[in-house]
Amino acid sequence: MKKFLAQRLDGRYSAFWASVLAIILTLITASLLLLVMGKDPVVAFQSFLQGCGFLPKANYGGGSGMLSDLFDFLNYLAPLLLASLAFIAGFKTGLFNIGISGQMLFSGFLATVFIGYNKSMSAAIAKPLVILIGLASGCLLGALIGFLKYRFNIHEVVSTIMINYIISYLTGFFINNNYVDMMTRTSRICTAAARLTWTNVKIGGVNCKVPLGIVIAVLIAFVVQFLFDKTSFGFELKAVGLNSRCAKYFGVNVGKSVVLSMAISGALAGLAGVCYYLGYTNTIIPKTLAGMGYDSISVALLGSASPIGAILASVIVSIFQQGANYMSSRVGVAKEIASLITGIMLLYAACGNYMRIVAHSYLQKELDKTSSREGKER
Amino acid sequence: MEKVFTDGLSFGIPLLIMAVGAIYSEKSGVTNLAVEGFQGVGAFVGSLIAILLIPVMGNGNQWIIYIALAAAAVGAGIYACLHALLCIKFHADQVISGVVINILAVALTSFFTSAANTAINGTASNKFILGVSNRFTVPGLSKIPWIGGLFTNMYPFEIIIIVLVIFFWYLMNKTRYGMRLRACGENPQAVDAAGGDVKKTRWIAVMISGALSGIGGMCFAYSLLANFSPSIYQGYGYLAIAAMIFGNWNIGSTALVCLIFGFAKSGGYQLCIAMGLPSNYSDLFLMLPYVLTMLLLIFFSKKNHPPKAVGQPWDKGKR
Repeated sequence: MKKFLAQRLDGRYSAFWASVLAIILTLITASLLLLVMGKDPVVAFQSFLQGCGFLPKANYGGGSGMLSDLFDFLNYLAPLLLASLAFIAGFKTGLFNIGISGQMLFSGFLATVFIGYNKSMSAAIAKPLVILIGLASGCLLGALIGFLKYRFNIHEVVSTIMINYIISYLTGFFINNNYVDMMTRTSRICTAAARLTWTNVKIGGVNCKVPLGIVIAVLIAFVVQFLFDKTSFGFELKAVGLNSRCAKYFGVNVGKSVVLSMAISGALAGLAGVCYYLGYTNTIIPKTLAGMGYDSISVALLGSASPIGAILASVIVSIFQQGANYMSSRVGVAKEIASLITGIMLLYAACGNYMRIVAHSYLQKELDKTSSREGKER
Repeated sequence: MEKVFTDGLSFGIPLLIMAVGAIYSEKSGVTNLAVEGFQGVGAFVGSLIAILLIPVMGNGNQWIIYIALAAAAVGAGIYACLHALLCIKFHADQVISGVVINILAVALTSFFTSAANTAINGTASNKFILGVSNRFTVPGLSKIPWIGGLFTNMYPFEIIIIVLVIFFWYLMNKTRYGMRLRACGENPQAVDAAGGDVKKTRWIAVMISGALSGIGGMCFAYSLLANFSPSIYQGYGYLAIAAMIFGNWNIGSTALVCLIFGFAKSGGYQLCIAMGLPSNYSDLFLMLPYVLTMLLLIFFSKKNHPPKAVGQPWDKGKR
């Protein structure tokens, strides 16, 4: 058993197996937690899946069914996947963009104000414009952070956090002053033409919300994978991430790479923002940053910073986040447990490297043992 | 004007103790972006103890505050072991570890706040209501024009923190232990050659860092917020890190920066009131500390000197 695990962790697909191990450990930890609280973990995990439309629920309200839950799940998955791709784009260059929630809020706010409240625009113009604004505003913000990092040596973790709070207060001020809905205390909802999700689509007799974002997100995952695996530009970015001095020696313009990589990261975060605020929620709660920006870090690390891995990892994290409401109502555990499970998963994923080192040295020792035994026999 | 000094001090002082915590960790060679998480967990543990003690000791009993502060230090110190484990034992990337610790702290505390509230009084609220600590005014000194505000309506914890900061300044700069700790951050190989234990020194430094940050968080819970809720995570930990960077990893100058942050925050708020603006506008002024941080970072980041070995895991075999 020990040897089998070590071989998996040391082999060609070691990153994949480290993530699988992280997920298994998370499930064990979460089950223990649930058992301590006197709940049945099997029922809890089952209801997580039921809440996301992977398993049928006991009963459904009028006009909704398993398929509508599944589409709600995709609605959540799309921005999460984009946000984690945004994190990966920076992470490959050695940059730690933890301001994704701020960039999401910034682009979501701009798109809502300029396009979402414009009642005269048709869907064919509004939707591409929303996507464009998302990309452009996020890109500018990301480039600014990259510039500050390169030119003034400001650590991106500190600058992104400061910018997060600045954006949060600034947009909160404008929403509260100009765009607030007096009933809900959130921003007024956007027009259906601008929203990136089609609501009330009849599929198989049930109402579904069909997100445009999921198609974009999966496409972009492959584009990012291609960029980093097959192009010289992507290789340069990776080189800067691995060893910026070495990259400089090879003639890579490090400053340009840092700014461009943050710009890409910001642009994807902006896209995630419009998918979230003009798709999933359709409204903005003032002065609140989406927790998704932080979940995206869990997704990226769990997917071992690979875009295709992020697709799988985002599905797992979304199941917990999106299924939490139904689980909470059925099992009676506070829905905050979803974030806790994501956090624990992140912790184990961060230990992945250590697990691989331990596995490697374990196998090395085994190898020494067998070779010395063979030596004695001879 | 006096209110600016009073409020600025009560914001800047808890920030300072968090920054001193961050300095301890970084001077020993462990990058510490986890201050935000430490202070949240500290505040959570302290508030939980306080909530449990209120029915026993009576509401408004000021001793609860001191017990809560001690509990916050212990709780956050233990939580900091996780950061130490990841950075020192597991050789994880220290920036990643810091962010992991922060995210986990938010999730842990918000989940267990609702769980504890359900267990204690049956409502799934995400808040522990604490109330505000008593205040006192120093007679005589508070009558001084202009700076009298510094001595008016003080929180008792401000005095505790100032004493602690002086003690930890002395420990860092005047004792053998402090010397060794600073050496671990500059040249761990030399410490090892001299017979010191680099890993142990770093473990202790990270735990001190957690404990001090926890005290800072608890003070915010008892003054600014008057409760414990997820709104304790307002980036104050990162403000402390920024203060450490401007202060060039030096406790004295960091103290000055923390006070400037505090006065900027309270000054902005008082300005908003003095100008007679509606309450919506206070959001714009709450932004000030963050904007100020960005500006200061732009002007001062180039010149600072972080400890040389910060961010590198200690590996005995490495040259």
